[in-house]
Amino acid sequence: MSQTDHHSGSDFRKPAVPRWAAGVSDGLWDGGCREVVYVPDNPLSHILAALERSHPTVRTTLATREEEAVGIAAGLYLGGTMPALLMQSSGLGNALNAVGSLLIAFQIPVVMVVSMRGDPGEWNSAQVPIGRAVRPMLDALGVSHLSVEREDEARDVVVSLAQLAFGTRLPVACLLPRRLTVPAGGGRS
Amino acid sequence: MTRFDAIDLARRTLTDEPVVVNLGHAAYELFAAGDRPLNFYTWGSMGLTSSIALGLALARPDRRVVALDGDGSLLMNLGSLATIAACSPANLLLLVLDNGQYGTTGGQATPTAGAADLEAAARAMGVRRTATARDAQQLEGALEASRTTPGPWVVVAKVDESAPTAKPPLDCVLIKQRFMNALAADSGSRTP
Repeated sequence: MSQTDHHSGSDFRKPAVPRWAAGVSDGLWDGGCREVVYVPDNPLSHILAALERSHPTVRTTLATREEEAVGIAAGLYLGGTMPALLMQSSGLGNALNAVGSLLIAFQIPVVMVVSMRGDPGEWNSAQVPIGRAVRPMLDALGVSHLSVEREDEARDVVVSLAQLAFGTRLPVACLLPRRLTVPAGGGRS
Repeated sequence: MTRFDAIDLARRTLTDEPVVVNLGHAAYELFAAGDRPLNFYTWGSMGLTSSIALGLALARPDRRVVALDGDGSLLMNLGSLATIAACSPANLLLLVLDNGQYGTTGGQATPTAGAADLEAAARAMGVRRTATARDAQQLEGALEASRTTPGPWVVVAKVDESAPTAKPPLDCVLIKQRFMNALAADSGSRTP
């Protein structure tokens, strides 16, 4: 093959995983999560790539909608596993009733990793209203949340949230701001 | 065949299967027909019964998992049929109690009272093992097929509305803990 990759070493099919994404992936593993249910977006695809590379025994399950993903994760917990969800902040809006009437009401712990839209770095006005509402929505439901502000803290943030979730049987949210996941001035998708 | 008849018929075929049941009348009637720790009664999250059962089936491939859903609820989450087909857990039976109405909220008609066909939807999403049962005999046959031929199975039972006579406990955490304890108690004692 004649193609070469100048950014990520010898294998052009496997671009380098950003450090924050490797940290989230390691945090999920170290936090005990072996099941990940997801509705994809661009930043989350880096976490999926990191899981595939470093923790290939983690099963990833695609859902068609975030509310559905919450249901699948709840069933995975009832079956004795420790599940995580990957979703975009817009999808958190789709999932709210399930977070309240299933996860919180039944005390079913899930680590929700939420890729932010509508925060600084956003270019699409349609993403802003729910993006602005993410923290108030989580606060209104009483869901503990932390934001990963630096890429070197990603693993520890996820591990601490997983401990809170599975230790106390509550859903938690780990927010990934665009300043973390998208290069400055980039990411118009 | 009323919904209670269908639930009671399905319940009588159960041995150690965990059951996830839709909120409202379906949950009330499963409780009335026969409470057991392995019944997971939902009290909210309308639409997610099939998804909860899918997650359970993935986590516990050694156990047959049964979901008792409603037509109105499954219509809220049709993507679940695509995910069930894609994951293809052999140990999942989704039994849809299709009365063509939102029974718990006063009997307003659902689209399955008209042209909507949930068995056809399941097939269109890629579920290969499906059936529609219009009487008790057909339902018995479909349930037997779902026990002997690996799934995932989607069985649509066309039922008439019936009046629930009891309600399960309102304590969600109690329901969950009782269910998980029962499921864990005999784990390891059965192999696929």
